[in-house]
Amino acid sequence: MGRILILRLLTRGIIPAGLLILLSGCIGDDLISDEVEPEIRILNPVVSIEVGTTYQFEARFFNNVGIDDPGRELRWSSSETQILTIDDNGLARALALGTTIVSVETDFGSDIIKENLTVVVSGETVTGGDTRSGVIVSTSSYVLEGSFTLSGATGDLNLDIDASYKATSALPGLYLYLSNNPNSTADAYEVGAVEVFEGAHSYNIKDNVGLNDYDYLLYYCKPFNVKVGEGKIE
Amino acid sequence: MKKIFIVLLTITSAMTLIAGGGWPQPKGKGYFKLSEWWIVSDQHYTDVGRIDPNITIGVFNTSLYAEYGFTDRLTGVLYFPFFSRNYYNNQVSATTLEIIIPGEAINSIGDTDLSLKYAISKPGSKIAFAATALLGLPLGKDSGGALNNLQTGDGEFNQMLRLDAGTSFNVGSLPFYSNVYSGVNNRTNDFSDEFRYGAELGVGLLNKKWWINAKLDAVVSFKNGLPSGLSNSTTIFANNAEYTSLTMETAYYVTDKLGVSVAYGTAFSGKIILANPSYSVGVFLDLK
Repeated sequence: MGRILILRLLTRGIIPAGLLILLSGCIGDDLISDEVEPEIRILNPVVSIEVGTTYQFEARFFNNVGIDDPGRELRWSSSETQILTIDDNGLARALALGTTIVSVETDFGSDIIKENLTVVVSGETVTGGDTRSGVIVSTSSYVLEGSFTLSGATGDLNLDIDASYKATSALPGLYLYLSNNPNSTADAYEVGAVEVFEGAHSYNIKDNVGLNDYDYLLYYCKPFNVKVGEGKIE
Repeated sequence: MKKIFIVLLTITSAMTLIAGGGWPQPKGKGYFKLSEWWIVSDQHYTDVGRIDPNITIGVFNTSLYAEYGFTDRLTGVLYFPFFSRNYYNNQVSATTLEIIIPGEAINSIGDTDLSLKYAISKPGSKIAFAATALLGLPLGKDSGGALNNLQTGDGEFNQMLRLDAGTSFNVGSLPFYSNVYSGVNNRTNDFSDEFRYGAELGVGLLNKKWWINAKLDAVVSFKNGLPSGLSNSTTIFANNAEYTSLTMETAYYVTDKLGVSVAYGTAFSGKIILANPSYSVGVFLDLK
């Protein structure tokens, strides 16, 4: 009688339960909402270009999840071709004094993604700002706050976090990224592990990273694979 | 941190009413349990006790729990997770359905506990007092996967001293038992030491063939180790974790000695700890 009971338990209870447990031990998928507006970004904007000279614009297209798509065809144009012309590769020629709008666009599905930049042709070439900044905010229950500035040349950027900065030291594996998607580390640049949890500190960023290559600071917990906070780079 | 949670819940799930607590095994008698404990968690308690999401993490421990009475007052206890699995899911873009961070898994032996329990009170006393010395052996992997954030152990050797007091009584015709305990867990490798305490209440039904019990367990960190953010670990085996958990268990004797058990546990408060329920199923042999 006891053996029959045990056999029934095995066949009707324990074995199916074991199979269920084994199945739930398989790696599954967790979906994250990571859609962003696709954009073209001019990486080296200028305020003005000296008349009679040329200027090589650089732009990148970031798709609807913020990933760089370098193979995409970009179309350049100038609104006032008597003032400035620009070729298919983004090389501008400043012909006469005045103001024009330089545009770069590409197709994305049925949409046209476009970026405009007002450029003055004048007596000197003045590049865009060499500093960007922002505010760090927590997007979780963990303490994270402060302000930052990003400055320097490509390959030698400085990320300076100011004295108002505070971050939790209770969370293991907190990392800092530069990203073009506030919800994802896909195609992001890993600055490094967070080792300072209060006060001013700096990171020097090399690896050919430019000032306008990324739009977000992303504080991310690797063990939990979850965002802790962010800072929009303005 | 996770280890604490896992091991404690596993042990408390494994120690049914007829094993553990203030009652050591009689000489030559024993209690043996083969069980599967698991938790699949997509959220955790933060450092301020709120619940935040995380990638789905799974931990599965297939373990042997054994108690054997060397004498009427001295019992040896083994908790041996001979197969431990830790994984996390793929992180997938909801926009493109492409994998952003691929999931990974590791399988190994888990951290193992060896204990000696000594009956302070004479066997048969109305209130049974027992002292336990536990050694936590770091046999599991403390680093695995491409990001080194998978673990089946925390890599530290801990020692715990624990005191239990238990009593049995009847309410009407129903047999009840209760047990309380407290202990101090000394941990190495810059992990914080811990104070642990808990209570258990159980009742026997169907002429003691069916038992139901509820267990409350708590861990309070002394916070005398490294903050989690400063430790070398990049896993969720964080330091300074705390929790209070409730485990409900039922055990049924299929024969006089052989039975099955099912348990459900949940941490209803905590810090830096998984926040989903855990489950356990087991088969036990009670050589009473």
